[in-house]
Amino acid sequence: MASLDDPGEVREGFLCPLCLKDLQSFYQLHSHYEEEHSGEDRDVKGQIKSLVQKAKKAKDKLLKREGDDRAESGTQGYESFSYGGVDPYMWEPQELGAVRSHLSEFKKHRAARIDHYVVEVNKLIIRLEKLTAFDRTNTESAKIRAIEKSVVPWVNDQDVPFCPDCGNKFSIRNRRHHCRLCGSIMCKKCMELISLPLANKLTSASKESLSTHTSPSQSPNSVHGSRRGSISSMSSVSSVLDEKDDDRIRCCTHCKDTLLKREQQIDEKEHTPDIVKLYEKLRLCMEKVDQKAPEYIKMAASLNAGETTYSLEHASDLRVEVQKVYELIDALSKKILTLGLNQDPPPHPSNLRLQRMIRYSATLFVQEKLLGLMSLPTKEQFEELKKKRKEEMERKRAMERQAALESQRRLEERQSGLASRAANGDVASLRRGPAHLRKAEGWLPLSGGQGQSEDSDPLLQQIHNITSFIKQAKAAGRKDEVRTLQENLRQLQDEYDQQQTEKAIELSRRQAEEEDLQREQLQMLRERELEREREQFRVASLHTRTRSLDFREIGPFQLEPSREPRTHLAYALDLGSSSIQSSIAPKTPTPSSAQEPIRVWSGPSALGQELLTQSSMSQQNEGPSLNPFDEEDLSSPVEEGTASPPAAGASFGPSAHIPKEYNPFEEEDEEEAMAGNPFIHRDSPAPNPFNEEDEHLQQRHSSPLVPGNPFEEPTCTNPFEMDSDSGPEAEEPIEEELLLQQIDNIKAYIFDAKQCGRLDEVEVLTENLRELKHTLAKQKGGTD
Amino acid sequence: MNVVFAVKQYISKMIEDSGPGMKVLLMDKETTGIVSMVYTQSEILQKEVYLFERIDSQNREIMKHLKAICFLRPTKENVDYMIQELRRPKYSIYFIYFSNVISKSDVKSLAEADEQEVVAEVQEFYGDYIAVNPHLFSLNILGCCQGRNWDPAQLSRTTQGLTALLLSLKKCPMIRYQLSSEAAKRLAECVKQVITKEYELFEFRRTEVPPLLLILDRCDDAITPLLNQWTYQAMVHELLGINNNRIDLSRVPGISKDLREVVLSAENDEFYANNMYLNFAEIGSNIKNLMEDFQKKKPKEQQKLESIADMKAFVENYPQFKKMSGTVSKHVTVVGELSRLVSERNLLEVSEVEQELACQNDHSSALQNVKRLLQNPKVTEFDAARLVMLYALHYERHSSNSLPGLMMDLRNKGVSEKYRKLVSAVVEYGGKRVRGSDLFSPKDAVAITKQFLKGLKGVENVYTQHQPFLHETLDHLIKGKLKENLYPYLGPSSLRDRPQDIIVFVIGGATYEEALTVYNLNRTTPGVRIVLGGTTVHNTKSFLEEVLASGLHSRSKESSQVTSRSASRR
Repeated sequence: MASLDDPGEVREGFLCPLCLKDLQSFYQLHSHYEEEHSGEDRDVKGQIKSLVQKAKKAKDKLLKREGDDRAESGTQGYESFSYGGVDPYMWEPQELGAVRSHLSEFKKHRAARIDHYVVEVNKLIIRLEKLTAFDRTNTESAKIRAIEKSVVPWVNDQDVPFCPDCGNKFSIRNRRHHCRLCGSIMCKKCMELISLPLANKLTSASKESLSTHTSPSQSPNSVHGSRRGSISSMSSVSSVLDEKDDDRIRCCTHCKDTLLKREQQIDEKEHTPDIVKLYEKLRLCMEKVDQKAPEYIKMAASLNAGETTYSLEHASDLRVEVQKVYELIDALSKKILTLGLNQDPPPHPSNLRLQRMIRYSATLFVQEKLLGLMSLPTKEQFEELKKKRKEEMERKRAMERQAALESQRRLEERQSGLASRAANGDVASLRRGPAHLRKAEGWLPLSGGQGQSEDSDPLLQQIHNITSFIKQAKAAGRKDEVRTLQENLRQLQDEYDQQQTEKAIELSRRQAEEEDLQREQLQMLRERELEREREQFRVASLHTRTRSLDFREIGPFQLEPSREPRTHLAYALDLGSSSIQSSIAPKTPTPSSAQEPIRVWSGPSALGQELLTQSSMSQQNEGPSLNPFDEEDLSSPVEEGTASPPAAGASFGPSAHIPKEYNPFEEEDEEEAMAGNPFIHRDSPAPNPFNEEDEHLQQRHSSPLVPGNPFEEPTCTNPFEMDSDSGPEAEEPIEEELLLQQIDNIKAYIFDAKQCGRLDEVEVLTENLRELKHTLAKQKGGTD
Repeated sequence: MNVVFAVKQYISKMIEDSGPGMKVLLMDKETTGIVSMVYTQSEILQKEVYLFERIDSQNREIMKHLKAICFLRPTKENVDYMIQELRRPKYSIYFIYFSNVISKSDVKSLAEADEQEVVAEVQEFYGDYIAVNPHLFSLNILGCCQGRNWDPAQLSRTTQGLTALLLSLKKCPMIRYQLSSEAAKRLAECVKQVITKEYELFEFRRTEVPPLLLILDRCDDAITPLLNQWTYQAMVHELLGINNNRIDLSRVPGISKDLREVVLSAENDEFYANNMYLNFAEIGSNIKNLMEDFQKKKPKEQQKLESIADMKAFVENYPQFKKMSGTVSKHVTVVGELSRLVSERNLLEVSEVEQELACQNDHSSALQNVKRLLQNPKVTEFDAARLVMLYALHYERHSSNSLPGLMMDLRNKGVSEKYRKLVSAVVEYGGKRVRGSDLFSPKDAVAITKQFLKGLKGVENVYTQHQPFLHETLDHLIKGKLKENLYPYLGPSSLRDRPQDIIVFVIGGATYEEALTVYNLNRTTPGVRIVLGGTTVHNTKSFLEEVLASGLHSRSKESSQVTSRSASRR
């Protein structure tokens, strides 16, 4: 409040910040700045330098011990010491200090004084109303007199020998006159007159606001004096013997005074000076800005970030609107500033000061708010921004996912160290052994090989990510985004299918060279089961980290959105497999293995049934097999035989993949939704039925460990690797962008891991990275 | 316990309650200062307060389209002015707020003057003190005592200020006072009296540990206000003088017109807020950073406003740029002037000896240093006198006291009579005889070992060795170790727990060094909140004036009229 006392000193407009010269526009200001102050820069700098040197000298003496801190404090900048005036420890919520009101007492005292006055005024006005209620000009004077006398009893002539105001004796020449409002007597000289228009004004105003009389507003008005003059001149002109008052009412000075005061109040209430009118408009505009500007800023920020929540046109319309209001504010405040400047008696200095201050505050307002209005992107820019944002978002999600996976993998590796020996042990011991372990520790033991193979299928991750995007986008109600994402998802899934198919083909080829078909089948199953297991593990780890965000985020999504895509997926998968394995097994139910996954996808209830039947069946057959895949396992060697290993592979791939994505959640879902879940009938009370199931699978297949299992081989950690292994003929290049993204992600993880000193992780990650790069290079080579 | 915020809230409430429309703020001399400490002009403008008028100004235009918010101290003159104002109202409607307790009869006479019913509100809002920093308040009273006793008018004002502070923070405290000071006891009693009388007002939600009001007297520590300061706020006050956040720079050589008077307010000056407690050297480097920042934000010479985007960018940067340039030039000027004074007056050397005098007990070395500096022509008479005062205070009873010799040196140096007389006056004011506690030699074992260790390690910073005596007092208070025989409670009850909310009031004025101490205590002792107040905030100059005003060399006045109870009400 520097200039509280002298607000007149305030200057505004385009002042040069250095010399405070007023320039009319910012063009001028800028040119002025260029011309005048471009050289000063160095001067100021020089000044500062010497000052700093002085200060440094002082500091050397002052702060002997802080010699080494100096550089630091220099880089920290002055903002870093941000605990100056506002002491954080003092800022506890503080309520308003004590207050005490004297208003009621004040009003009591005032009312005693005022009541009298108000009653008086109201009385007079009521009488005045009665006196003017009839048509005076066309009524006989005698009749008028009768009416007048009925309004207020006139004082007896005999009682008043002298005029109470001037003291002159009444005589025939100095006649008595009665006040029509109070009945008192005065001489002609002391008599006042009220013209009919004034009377009407008073009475009509009173009708509106008789009750609200208390509103405070009045002032000695110059207009008023002149009116009084005119009235008195009129009365002097009036004829000596005016017994009949056509257009005025006689009254005493006292009554007239009271009424005039009242009139003044009415005038003031009705009269609003120009400045008030303009000011009210100004405030309205400001309110509008306060309302609209945040809305606009929100829009602009969102648009500039590439979001599509708002439309660009709408935002630019709003911008124009807001800017127009600003212009209006500027114009209005300018008008206020110049009010009355050209009047003959120049306005009082404090009025001018008021005008200046209003203008100043309006300028401040505009400066503060208008300049905060960010610009909008152009259409082209916006498109670009949108694209960028989408990529950004995807990358971010991928990173999050990756991070989750990484941490999970770490757990897993640790776990696998413990459990791998047991996992490779004999069937019987495995069967119960790990179950206990699991119950105790809450996650599934995995063999080392599985652990390594488990994590990194970027495509899968990508699919996973995108499904979660879809879910989020749906939640946010961005339909277009959902559409594009779904498109993406479909592409990815196709990609994955192909990959898997190729993998399968490759596998089958290799295996065909082997003598035993059964073995091959087992191999397939093994792969399958591994997928399951992997899945299993994920679920388990999710369970162990129940409080982690990941889980919750994904949890709900199993409920709705996953189902729809699933059917899509089924088709997509079907198509994919059929296109490649066109000859052998599209939808036809001949290979039960191909049929199997479709049935699974057909819905949770179907799955449940299937599982139920299967479980009962398998229990009869083999005991532990409770899984549709188990059935496969049983049936395929029998039914399928050598018939179509590639087909099996083709269908296995996707089926392994899809349940991996959805099944566990669905399972969860079911478990929560229906108590009649077949898995609940299980003897073992494992929290996740899949664990159990998985175990069964695992124990059966883990014993005949096939060295040829692609998942078992550390080199095959990456499906991309698989792709490249499978040979160029089947090479379906993965989107390069995706790869690059993945590489970026992994780099980021490596950095992160290094930061945290997790060296083992770094190693694994670098391995991954190398592989990815390798793939990329190969792919490039392949496509070129 | 934020006094700035407390006052600000009051003002905001007044403005809020008056509703929309153009407003004028009608104040008296003191409330103008109170408001200006917490609100900046642009801030208050945004709340539609466009005019600021003094109630005693006769040249006020009738402006019926304005609402008047009156914030006045409840003095007789103000009530009279208000009565006149209401008889002939100049504004459409009046919201009247008194900064303290107003008598019923005054309310009645105001009510009777309001025939036109223009008054819409009459309230007491207890913003009756100058809020300097969030934890520091002042009453801007210079010369509160006559001899050892209160000037009655000032006692009443101080009581009002202190009770208003308690009300604005909603604290009903227990009171402790410094036993050695008659004035402290007197003030404590007056405050207690008000609390008892206005018990309804002081009925607040009880806290577990009741707040504590500690009343001290400047006499107990006359050293602190005599020292040169090196933290920004304290240094500016010591060398340039801060008056309600304003600094008069008109005597600075070659000052430009718009920098004759600058405002340093932590409320709206980020740089100041961040640097007010840092020492001079740190500020030097910070101001360099500020400057570099400024250079960065400043439009570059080669930058042409060719495209619309360029122009937009320029305009968009303009307000910050303008604001920043104001800050830059202000602080550059202030710090520049400080450093000029430091070198001109040889203050580094002077301060070093001051600190030695205040903190160490080596008489011969101190004497030697003082003598040496007295020979130095660069040392001003003011600084010379202050060195001798410090010497006189510290070695008052020393066996080989050579004050007469130093006084001779002062005379030889050409130090004026006024300052030479002040040396004895200061000793009279804050000498050993009046002190209730020992300023210089620590008594308890802990303090002795502390000092011993300090001596071993060497001093960290020669210029800021001194810790105000207040630090020790508060430290003991916080730990519940403050001796009751030196600082008794007023009344029978005493605090069992360690205090949490502490209000310290220094009769005779606090200093910014003490404010810094309190600030640091607030930061380092969680759960404890301390607010420091004083009849004023001193620098050496004002402290010497205070000593002069108390007229202590003629101590016969001690019997001066102590009472005038009615005065304490108004």
